[in-house]
Amino acid sequence: MTTVPVRPPLVRSSDRVIAGVCAGLADHLGWPVRMVRIGMAVAALAGGAGLVFYAWLWIMVPTADESAKRNARRPASPIAPAVSMPPNRPAAVDPLLRTGAYPPDYPAGPVPPPSGGSVHAAGPGGYTPVAGPAPSAPYDAGTPSQPLGPAAVAGTGAWFRVRNMRYGKEILLGAGLLLVAAILIARLLGAEVPLGTLIPAAAILGGAAIAWMQLDETRRAGLVDKTKADQAGGWARLAAGLALVVAGVLVMVSGSGSWEQTWLALLASVAVLGGVALVLLPWGLKFWRDLEAERAGRVRETERAEIAAHLHDSVLQTLALIQRRAANEHDVVRLARAQERELRGWLFRDPARDAGQLSDRIKAAAAEVEDGLGNAVDVVSVGDTAMTDRHEALVQASREAMLNASRHGGGPVSVYLEISVGGAEVFVKDRGSGFELHTVPEDRMGVRESIIGRMKRHGGTAEINSSPDGTEVRLKLPATAEDNGEGKS
Amino acid sequence: MSTPALDGTAGDPGRTVRVVIVDDHAIFRSGLKTDLDPRIEVVGEAGTVEQAIEVIGRTRPEVVLLDVHLPGGLGGGGREVIAGSAALRGTTKFLALSVSDAAEDVVAVIRAGARGYVTKTISGAEITDAVYRVAGGDAVFSPRLAGFVLDAFGTAPADIADDELDKLSARELEVMRLIARGYSYKEVAKELFISIKTVETHVSAVLRKLQLSSRHELTKWAAERRLL
Repeated sequence: MTTVPVRPPLVRSSDRVIAGVCAGLADHLGWPVRMVRIGMAVAALAGGAGLVFYAWLWIMVPTADESAKRNARRPASPIAPAVSMPPNRPAAVDPLLRTGAYPPDYPAGPVPPPSGGSVHAAGPGGYTPVAGPAPSAPYDAGTPSQPLGPAAVAGTGAWFRVRNMRYGKEILLGAGLLLVAAILIARLLGAEVPLGTLIPAAAILGGAAIAWMQLDETRRAGLVDKTKADQAGGWARLAAGLALVVAGVLVMVSGSGSWEQTWLALLASVAVLGGVALVLLPWGLKFWRDLEAERAGRVRETERAEIAAHLHDSVLQTLALIQRRAANEHDVVRLARAQERELRGWLFRDPARDAGQLSDRIKAAAAEVEDGLGNAVDVVSVGDTAMTDRHEALVQASREAMLNASRHGGGPVSVYLEISVGGAEVFVKDRGSGFELHTVPEDRMGVRESIIGRMKRHGGTAEINSSPDGTEVRLKLPATAEDNGEGKS
Repeated sequence: MSTPALDGTAGDPGRTVRVVIVDDHAIFRSGLKTDLDPRIEVVGEAGTVEQAIEVIGRTRPEVVLLDVHLPGGLGGGGREVIAGSAALRGTTKFLALSVSDAAEDVVAVIRAGARGYVTKTISGAEITDAVYRVAGGDAVFSPRLAGFVLDAFGTAPADIADDELDKLSARELEVMRLIARGYSYKEVAKELFISIKTVETHVSAVLRKLQLSSRHELTKWAAERRLL
C-alpha cells in the first residue's frame, strides 16, 4: 500500500458479461480481459472458489458510476469566476489579462472550499494583501489538507487516500472471513476449536464493531451535512450491534446455566444498568451539551474559515487589482461590477434552488455582456421557469439585444424578464440615441437574424421600439409553440 | 445600480431639503454628502439605531436616507429606526438605501413605512431626485423594487371580488411593469398617455398596498425569498 498506485481504480466495468467484474478486474490489474474471464471460469470449477470470489467482488466493488459518485466532491464554490475569467470575446477591452495583471494562478479555475478549517481561518489575518504578481500562490500551496481542485482530481494522491479510508470496512470484513476460514481449516485438520466460546466472542466483537463504525460515520456525516438523512439507518445499525453484543454476552455467560437463571440474571443486569444510567444521566447530559456546544463552535469556525477563504480569493484579489489599475477608470468600474455581482451571487444564493433556470441564464448572459463591454446591465426578473430549447433561443436573442444595447446605446442597460403562465417576455432597454430598423443595412445580421429571425423561428415575436430617448427590444415567447403570439402584443 | 426611474421631474426642486443620513459606514456617509446636490442640507448623521432615533428626533428632517442594515438597537436595523421615530410620521419621510438585493430586506423596510428604496450605487443626481420626490410625498420605486412588487403580488390583474389591497389593478400593473423595464416616471406617463402626476398616484397606491396588504402570500413570498 505504500507504492503510488498508477493503475486505474477497481470498479465494475460497463463492458460486462454478467456484472462487469472480470472486465473491471482486468482493467485494474492491467491483464487481458479474456485471461481474467478464463481464470475466473477455471476457478469456479475448483470447488466454486471462483464463484465465491466473483460474488464477493460483485457485492464489494462499486460500478464506475457509483465510484464516481463516491469520489464526487462538493462542487467548488464559484469563486471570482467573473474576475478571474477572461472575457472570452473582445480581447481589446481587457488589457489586464495581456499585461499579466492577474496573478498567474488566477485563471486556474475555482478554488474549492476549504475543509481543513484551521488553516484557512488564518486567512485574512495572516495574509498581507500585497499587490505582488502572485499574492495567492504561497497561500494556496500551503494548504495541502484541502481537497484537491478539479485539475488535481486525476492526481494520484487524493485517490489513494480516499480509497484507503473508504475501504476500511471491507478490509475488516475480509479479515473476519479469513478468521472463519482459518477456524474451519483448523477443525478440518482435527484441532479442537472451542466454538462455544469463539462464536459469542465473535458476536460481541462484531456487534461492537458495527456500533463503533456507526459512531464514526455519524460524526463524519454530522460535520459534512447536518441534514442527517440517513439517521434511521444509523439507529438500525446501532440496534443491530447492541443486539449482537447482548446475545453474545448472554450465550457466553449462560453457557452452563438454565434458561430461567439466565432470565433472572438478565433482569438483574438490566436493573443495575438502569440504576447506573439514572445516576450518570445528569453528568452524561452535561457532557453531551458541552460536546454539542463545542461542535457548534467548530461548525461556526468552519463557516468563518470558508467566508475568509472566499473573501481572500475574491474580494481581496479584486481590491489588489483595483489598486493596480487605479488610473484606468473603465477597468476599475468593470472590476468592481464583476466583483459585486460575484459577491452578491455568493451571499444571496439559494442552495435549494436548482441552477439553470431561465432567469439564471438571462442573468449570466447579462453578466457576460457587462464583462465584455464594461457597460452596466441590470436584470430584474419576475417569475421563473426551467429551460427548454425554445427558451435557449430566447436567451440567445436577449443576449444579442443586450450586446446591441450595450454597444450602441451607451449608459446602463435595463433588462426585464417576466415569466408567467402565458409565456416569457424579455425587455432590453437602453438610453442611446436610437435607430430606425429600416435604416439598418440588409447585411447587418445582428438585429434582423439573431433577434427577429430567431424569435420567429421559435414561435415568438420580437419588436424593436426606437426613439431619440433610447431603444427597447421586446421579445415574447408564448408558452406553447402553436400559438404564434401574433394576435397578441 | 442605476435607477433610471428617477428623473428630473420631482416636485419643487428649488427649495432646500433637510436630510439626515443614517448609515453605519462613515466613508459612505461622507461620500454621499459630497455627491448630494448643494440644495440638500445634511443636518445630521447617525451610525446606529439609537443614534439615528436621537438625531432624527432632535433635528426633525424632512427626509431620512436610511440604511437597511444598521448595528445597535434590537437588531431590527432600518425598520427599528422607522418604528422608533413613529412620533414624526407624516413630517419625516424615510428613503431606504441598501446594498442588499434580498427581497426580504427591501420589503421589510418598505412595510415598516419607508417611502421608497434605492440601491447605494446610484449616482448623486439620481439620489437627489429621489430625495425631492420623497420630500414631495411621492414614492420612489427602483426597477428592482418594482420587480419585487410584481413577483409578490403576481402579474395577473385584480378581480372585482378580490380585496383591493391584495392585488394590483390593471393600470398599477402596467405602471409597475414599465418601471421594472427601466422607464422613468416621465417615460411611463408618455407610454400610457397619462400625466406624471397620475403615474405618481399609481405608484403611491402600490406603495400603500405593499405596506398595508395583509395578504398572506406576501409574507409567504418574502419568506420563500429568504436568501440568507
